[in-house]
Amino acid sequence: MNAPEQRELVSPVFPALLGAAAPRRGRGRWGVYAALVLVALIYVGPMLTVVNVALKTRQEFTLDPTSLAAGLRFENFVNAWNKANFPLYLRNTILYAVVATGLYVLTAVFVAFPISRRYVRGSGFLFSLFVIALFLPYALIPQFQLMLHLHLYNTQAGYVLLFLVNPIGIVILVNYLRSIPRDLDEAAAMDGSSYVRFVLRIIFPLIKPALASVIVLHAIGIWNEYVTPLIYLTKKSYLPITRGLMVFYGQYGNDWTTLSAAILMLMLPMMVLFLLLQRWIYAGVLQGSLRQ
Amino acid sequence: MYAAYHFGSRRSRLIPTLLLLPGMLLYFCLSLGPSLATVVYSFTDASGLVGSPTKWLGLSNYKEFLFLGQNARDNFEVLVRTLEFSFLVTVIQTSFGLLIAVLLNQRLKATNAFRTIFFLPVILGVTIIGLMWTLFLYPLGGPVEKILGLFGAQSELLGGPPFQAFLWVIWVQIWANMGITMIIFLAGLQTIPAELIESSRIDGASGWQGFRHITYPLLMPSLNTNLTLAIIGSLQAWQLLLVMKGVTNGTQVLGLTIYAIAFGRVSNNPTGIAMRQGYGAAASVVLFVLVLIIGMTAQYLMRRRERRILG
Repeated sequence: MNAPEQRELVSPVFPALLGAAAPRRGRGRWGVYAALVLVALIYVGPMLTVVNVALKTRQEFTLDPTSLAAGLRFENFVNAWNKANFPLYLRNTILYAVVATGLYVLTAVFVAFPISRRYVRGSGFLFSLFVIALFLPYALIPQFQLMLHLHLYNTQAGYVLLFLVNPIGIVILVNYLRSIPRDLDEAAAMDGSSYVRFVLRIIFPLIKPALASVIVLHAIGIWNEYVTPLIYLTKKSYLPITRGLMVFYGQYGNDWTTLSAAILMLMLPMMVLFLLLQRWIYAGVLQGSLRQ
Repeated sequence: MYAAYHFGSRRSRLIPTLLLLPGMLLYFCLSLGPSLATVVYSFTDASGLVGSPTKWLGLSNYKEFLFLGQNARDNFEVLVRTLEFSFLVTVIQTSFGLLIAVLLNQRLKATNAFRTIFFLPVILGVTIIGLMWTLFLYPLGGPVEKILGLFGAQSELLGGPPFQAFLWVIWVQIWANMGITMIIFLAGLQTIPAELIESSRIDGASGWQGFRHITYPLLMPSLNTNLTLAIIGSLQAWQLLLVMKGVTNGTQVLGLTIYAIAFGRVSNNPTGIAMRQGYGAAASVVLFVLVLIIGMTAQYLMRRRERRILG
């Protein structure tokens, strides 16, 4: 194969690797689009399959799981809502997410602010304790022993307590707070503001972008959590929705049409939230990955 | 040391510390403390039952986990599988994420829509992703089976031989987390001025040379971040395996084995004692040492390469 031909063969994808933001023209551009669409299909495929199966009847699914659903039928959703105890589980998840995220953010800002300003002894050391959290041994077992001995096993309060900690959130907040000018503290103090008032009235509004990231990431984490309820909650009326879904999967493992409807109902709120709050989520992930 | 503080002096100087305490104590008691206490528990025969006496065992949990009989042989297989999982996830996820980030960094339309699609799984969580892919990989005429059929291939997918099923879960793990890798690379790419590449083009550099000598070195910090996150994340990952395959022999990684030992879902434990938390803690320490050794070696190699390339 001679050189020009080879170049043409690899050109659709490869030039794209080559320069950042180089303007694309002609066939090269279509090559990039083709590659992106192909990968996008791998991403959308599983999701569309869930939608399709959720609209099928059980017979349709048994005959051919992949064929297109005959029409829009919503019985599966009604069934999933009733059979899977959705209202109860959903209420639990929302309760856990709201209470834990609210308490967490309030305590987190009062940890992050003085550390970012070095208002407490050993601020640098304290911050590094949050940074290294990623590398430390899995806290699962002693944490379980602690909850057991505090009689918080299988209680809703205990479950919420477990979500009042999130080291990455602290890292994000401290990184952001460092960009808020220090002069502000002095000016507010001169005006006679107290520390608490300053943090609540001035700092909170100023760090809204970072707060948005932390709140969204923390709440999504609680919404999606699977292992913690598996370990800590056995009472059915306490279960969050992810665990509820797996209980349902255990009971009706072959009932994929109803199960798909349930998966979709669990997914949709997250997808809407994501579409509305994308930039805060990206910002949070990026800030959380900076660990100096 | 304290920095200059303006909100009063003497007693009111303590207010920041007092208000920091709730959050700090929660972190110490629920996360940092338990994490360190794992080492202490690993020397005991703690169980998951309240009121049962706990004995000090010394090193015997480690001896059993690493050296004694069939369990140790199974555990060795699990260790090897954990390394395979981590290696494949790290290498493929990082390259895949880099490729997608570079493609999205072109001046093209609809790149935001693509970025949204690729990032979406990150916010969906293991339950939804695990079930979604279990359906997508449905062995009796599901989408993947049909597509494989078009190429004349046949596979039982998740129900097939353990190693095949294991490879599918690795793929789903990559699929689920590539969005994070992509976003970090995209942020890195956006700090590289386009003029730099364009002027190299004018100077006669080929596209590949431009990538190799300008984009790639400047992307080094993002690459290091991504590799570190991927290595540590993949060594500790196990939840997707739990959702998609449960606790079964032949597809376990160390994190899943720890869960199985500590919370009583042991399939290969002849004595049948459930919830052996001391023994599980010893396995956790083994995992921690693995993360430490591999993580620090990787850090050292990345630093050295960064110095060499950036001079």
